[in-house]
Amino acid sequence: MSAVKHSQAMHFQARAGEKVRNPVLQRALQKAKPLFVGKRAKGVAALADDGLDFELLRTTCEGIRNRTLADLDVWLDIFEERAKATGAEVLWARDGDEVSQLVVDIARRHGVTKAAKSKSMLSEEAHLNEALAAAGIRPVETDLGEYIVQLAGETPSHIIAPAVHKTIEEVEALFAREHGRPVETRTSADIPAMTQEARAVLRQHFLTAEMGISGANFLIAETGTAALVTNEGNGRMVTTLPKVHVVITGIEKIVPTLEDFATLMRLLPRSATGQSISNYVSLLTGTRQPGDLDGPDKTVFILVDNGRANLLGSAYQDMLRCIRCGACMNHCPVYFSLGGHAYGWVYPGPMGSVLTPLYTGIENALDLPHASTGCNQCGSVCPVRIPLPTLMHRLREEQVERGLRPWSERLALKAWAWIAGKPLLYRWLTRRAARYLNWLADGEGRIRILGLAPEWTAGRDLPVAGGQTFHELYAARKRA
Amino acid sequence: MRLALYVTCLVDLMRPSVGFAALRLLESAGCEVVVPEGQTCCGQPAWSAGNRALSADLAKKAIAELEGFDYVVIPSGSCTDQIRNVYPQLFAADAHWGPRSRAIAERTYELTTFLADVLKLPAVPAKFEGSVTYHDSCKGLRGLGIKRQPRELLMKVNGLALKEMSDCEECCGFGGAFSVKFGDVSTRIVDRKCDSIAAAGADAVVGGDLGCLMNIEGRLRRRGDETTRVLHIAEVLAGGGNS
Repeated sequence: MSAVKHSQAMHFQARAGEKVRNPVLQRALQKAKPLFVGKRAKGVAALADDGLDFELLRTTCEGIRNRTLADLDVWLDIFEERAKATGAEVLWARDGDEVSQLVVDIARRHGVTKAAKSKSMLSEEAHLNEALAAAGIRPVETDLGEYIVQLAGETPSHIIAPAVHKTIEEVEALFAREHGRPVETRTSADIPAMTQEARAVLRQHFLTAEMGISGANFLIAETGTAALVTNEGNGRMVTTLPKVHVVITGIEKIVPTLEDFATLMRLLPRSATGQSISNYVSLLTGTRQPGDLDGPDKTVFILVDNGRANLLGSAYQDMLRCIRCGACMNHCPVYFSLGGHAYGWVYPGPMGSVLTPLYTGIENALDLPHASTGCNQCGSVCPVRIPLPTLMHRLREEQVERGLRPWSERLALKAWAWIAGKPLLYRWLTRRAARYLNWLADGEGRIRILGLAPEWTAGRDLPVAGGQTFHELYAARKRA
Repeated sequence: MRLALYVTCLVDLMRPSVGFAALRLLESAGCEVVVPEGQTCCGQPAWSAGNRALSADLAKKAIAELEGFDYVVIPSGSCTDQIRNVYPQLFAADAHWGPRSRAIAERTYELTTFLADVLKLPAVPAKFEGSVTYHDSCKGLRGLGIKRQPRELLMKVNGLALKEMSDCEECCGFGGAFSVKFGDVSTRIVDRKCDSIAAAGADAVVGGDLGCLMNIEGRLRRRGDETTRVLHIAEVLAGGGNS
């Protein structure tokens, strides 16, 4: 699996430690969280203005996704047939390496030296930018956040807000360097000016790139259409100006009809940014026809598996419903303590904690399913009702079943469960434990350093009671 | 009405006063309360770790000792969620334990839900001079829908003023083994909770789950907050809040 060699998910614990201690990152995250949460809450509440019920819509959207997945092969066949009828080419890729190979081949065939990209997380799965650069083709990210991340030589830390981990000072430094000007002092009032600056640079790239690469939020089977949901307009430039347009997307992104797409659009922008609809919604069908004012001469769809087909019919199929809105990470206490890079692979937050082990190997991402407090804030906002905590739990079970947990944890759990199964022994031991904890505590009933749980007392005291257990005191009370 | 009080392993070891407060509350409401003798732990730590076999063993033990009562009452949303929502899943395909787990699940209630919705308690025997802010624990809130019940009960406490904190539904970062496995991440999360508590400016923070409360209290104290009291709702409702 090519994804494995790029995954840093096994280093989650160490990276998490770095991230919580990075004050710049913490400042950026602290700023972003209330915006995401507040906007979504407002957007969802506003559904009532249109006479719509959120829970009912969730059920409908969940149903659309489930029905599609139940006959995924059929819908993919229909999509391929309809897309070809509009003049597009449809290619299939088993994994990220195949994606890169196909894109490089297409680029070479058309003499491409520069490719303008709009946001595509699948191109991150494929490490496409590296492959293009290695082939002498310059990839230019044109989503503002992706542009920033590319300038910084980083990867996106959020699926819809790739540069959410960056502060304005960091962005200013990158722009000054890249755009060849001195660094200025910036406040949020300067964001429009900085955006204009990036826009002027990107405009030249749109006009000179021979190839446009985009993802697709949905593929619509009945019309052979790619649907693009964006806010910056770069998606339109990328998909209409260059003579070649390549759409890279996962096979699960398909929906049967335009009607289904319209229904899902009720929840996608609201769940992501709180908008009732994004600034741009593009439905891209086929190549430029005689009389069309714009559009590519060549459209190629690359439909990618990269682990998805394995989930069909498995205990994890629900995950394929995901429409990539980012609401799960926006509401995740762990994500907003770390940002996305700690997760080590393409997808962060709760959806990443499920997808990374499934796409890169359970044994290569052991911490991720445990990187959750089980709060279910993710599951309760997911627009297609993916039971994220249940899926993470299932992954934990699979780790146990496959003997992947550390022996110390296995032993401790076994010993504890054995003792908890023997009430008399349990009573005796807990009495001893209560005494011991009380002995460790200072005069105010607190333990400041506990060797048994150093991770706990590194950040907080352990409050303890008076050295006797409930059952001990209760038995004494009954005797009295 | 004869009910079983399941005090939870955490209350047993770390804060017995919560168990006695629950006992007092239920008895003063006229219930016959039994504390089943063999009780230890509901098995949630094993379940959360992904160990289905060990959690099933402990679930069977708990089911057997909790049968034969009109109700089972637990001063914890987390353990109640385990019995109500997880036990039936654990034994979904088991012809013997399936029905037994479902029967127990139906009769098991978190303390405030039991007091507010089953007993429909008209008054609580307590006085509390001061203001409190309520932390909604995740399993209780999102697993069992507990939100209104604790507030309804707190409002019945003589002298008590409720001051809601912002983001009261946000996780405190405890998460059982999570707080030990990923201590620094957990600390970062509970810091945000402590910020909300500080901003609310109440005399006490109150909750229904001892795990969350120990996490919050431990962090508040480490941050140097020596005055904000951290209380289990049973303690407040039973009148021990000011002691």
